[in-house]
Amino acid sequence: MTVDQIPATGRTGPVESTGRTAPPQRPRISMTARRHRAFYLFTSPWIIGFLLLTVVPMAYALWLSFTTYDGISPHWSYVGLGNYTELFSDPQTWNSLGRTGLFALTSVPLSIIAGLGLAVQVNRPIKARGLFRTLLYLPAVVPPVGVGLTFKALFDQNSGAANGVITLFGFDALGWLADPYARYVLLMSVLWAAGNVMIISLAGLQDVPRELHEAARIDGASAWRTFRSITVPLLSPVLLFQTVTGVIASVQTIMPLLLSPDGTTAGVTALPQSNYLYMMHVFSQYFALGRYGYASALLWVLFVLILIVTGLIFKFTSGVVFYNVDPEAKK
Amino acid sequence: MHPRAGASLSRRRFLALSAAGAATGAATLSGCAMQVSSGVGGGGETVTVMAKPDDFPPELVRQARKDLGVKIVTVRYDITKLIGMMTNGAPPDLVRGVGATDAPYFAARDVMEDLDPYFAGSDVLKADDLDPVNDLWRFDGRTQGKGPRYGMAKDFSQDSMYWYNTALFDRAGEAHPPETEPVTFEEWLETAGRLTRRENGQTTVFGGSYNGVLTPNLLASLTVAAGGSLFTDDFSRVDFTTPEARKALNWYIEYGRARVGPSIVQPDPNTWDGPTFQANRMAMSNSGYWLGGLINSDKKLAPHARLAPAPVFEGGRRVSPCQAGTGLWMPRKARNKDAAWRVFEWFFGEGPAKARAAGGWGIPTLKSLRPLMPAQEDYQKRVLKVQNAELKHFSVIAYTPYATADSLYALFNQEAPAAMNGHLSVDALAGRLNSVMNEQLKRGKEQVG
Repeated sequence: MTVDQIPATGRTGPVESTGRTAPPQRPRISMTARRHRAFYLFTSPWIIGFLLLTVVPMAYALWLSFTTYDGISPHWSYVGLGNYTELFSDPQTWNSLGRTGLFALTSVPLSIIAGLGLAVQVNRPIKARGLFRTLLYLPAVVPPVGVGLTFKALFDQNSGAANGVITLFGFDALGWLADPYARYVLLMSVLWAAGNVMIISLAGLQDVPRELHEAARIDGASAWRTFRSITVPLLSPVLLFQTVTGVIASVQTIMPLLLSPDGTTAGVTALPQSNYLYMMHVFSQYFALGRYGYASALLWVLFVLILIVTGLIFKFTSGVVFYNVDPEAKK
Repeated sequence: MHPRAGASLSRRRFLALSAAGAATGAATLSGCAMQVSSGVGGGGETVTVMAKPDDFPPELVRQARKDLGVKIVTVRYDITKLIGMMTNGAPPDLVRGVGATDAPYFAARDVMEDLDPYFAGSDVLKADDLDPVNDLWRFDGRTQGKGPRYGMAKDFSQDSMYWYNTALFDRAGEAHPPETEPVTFEEWLETAGRLTRRENGQTTVFGGSYNGVLTPNLLASLTVAAGGSLFTDDFSRVDFTTPEARKALNWYIEYGRARVGPSIVQPDPNTWDGPTFQANRMAMSNSGYWLGGLINSDKKLAPHARLAPAPVFEGGRRVSPCQAGTGLWMPRKARNKDAAWRVFEWFFGEGPAKARAAGGWGIPTLKSLRPLMPAQEDYQKRVLKVQNAELKHFSVIAYTPYATADSLYALFNQEAPAAMNGHLSVDALAGRLNSVMNEQLKRGKEQVG
């Protein structure tokens, strides 16, 4: 075989004049192509997981949302947009959505303010700072089920510690887990875990250049003015992140279910009205009533709403969020 | 492919090894799954049982291995998981279920195995030894209580009966309820009101709890006790506006309004009566004989705890149904039916059944096991006398096959609090319940075909 006879794509190397075969050469691959290949190879476990565990279930849920499927009955039918039209005429959908919006509007700002306040305090050079940081963060480590059980025990009308304390002072016991107080207990359960927000805000605070604070102090700015004009703007990307994730978490919260005194799947509908949030409606349709199709439609609507709300948050905060990005990093 | 010792791990080799690792992991996982579903375990057959942890604790699983040579793999009971497993064609071999409500629901959907041929060939579970409560697990395609057997109850109670705490009655100066003659529901509620103790807005003693096992079932039982039927003849609708159903509903709403016991507007954080009754904070609890298992284990409480017959409505019928009849059923597509039946026989007729009977946690569902019910102590003899007298009033109250108990319970929960809080009349509530429940039943009927 001469050099001319070597197939272009062959792996056999050219025949040297000595008659020995040269080591095989790989076809040339550009550096960009190699980088792309490496990227896809390294990310493939996640991509496969994302496709199988997110895209496929979502597509399945989308298909379900057009049916009356209940998981077990032999006959079910394709109803087109029937579930979606029913959803818009279902008063429970609107009521629960309204309550969810109100819950997000109160819980997110309050938890961000509480978390930021704590972060500012534990960012000071005080004694046992590490211990305080740990103690304040601990509640965030408790699993939600533990929080639910603890709060149920604390706020039970007849045997809870909360009423134990207020009756000591001569007040009558309150039905904390019923309307109208249940919403406050729910809010407290969110604020109790403000350590999560604190830890992220603390990381943000430590990124604020000290020289800016020193310059402000030299210029005679008050602590509040420094916080308002330097700390908050520099923390704004962190606050935006917390707002977006906080809103998403609050509209998806299942904490009312964990605070449910009934303890059964069907008990979700017995929740105090103020705690019957959108996810509770989804939960009751899905698990208590077995309406997989309708519940899937509710979830798809929630998904779209979250996209819209997130988009609006980005749009309306674009002018007040300051990104400290290295221009070179964009290249 | 093995890297040489000391050789650096190139990217290519790392990816190759990762792929090999992933493949091995997948094979291992698949092997695990196969062990569950193939029915082949180490040294014997494997039966997958979906139940609650208390039904099949580890010691019972070990006992099955020893007694039967069968390996039991337990899966925690979860209706969503059950549906998933059935949809995937790999259902458990045995499933926990509440006979009173699950049997017609699943049987109507043709996912249960007809166990009649197995019963016919069994030396352990003989037809003439089966207590009538097992009829809850029969369904003829239309009515519960007739037709093939699809399962069996592990034990049962006549759940409209109630326990009372004599110490709390004495403290309140109340006469004890008669032991063999029923009080009326109205009297029961009045007594509960007098027994209730409150301080600073806190209820320190609940006068009485009357929630039944499952609220829809309780309402169906109360309606029968009032002389009517909650369901129409074909079980496709409910009607809360008939005089009998309205009477039943009115009584239960009055119970909720009076706040003499736990309800959806005054929930007990324990979620069931046992701990509250045991703590001497509940004077009456309609838990049926089953609660005796807890009471017998508390030597301080047991002498004060007595059982009483199910109340009646004035002018109504004396009925004393079982509202649960919890047991096991076999999915039609179970893969290991013969081994599952061996476990079934053992669980319902041999060692575990005898242990349950002796523990007082319910009445055995085989008549031959009745002598094992606890009767050593005087208080146990007294309870047993009341229970035995009540057995002749047992009746199966058929439940609709078109909706789960959970779904009707959820719909009741959605509507009833307004009435219990005094914001809605019972008549208006009856109308709303008819509307939402019949819609759910209509959907169910369409899906059964």
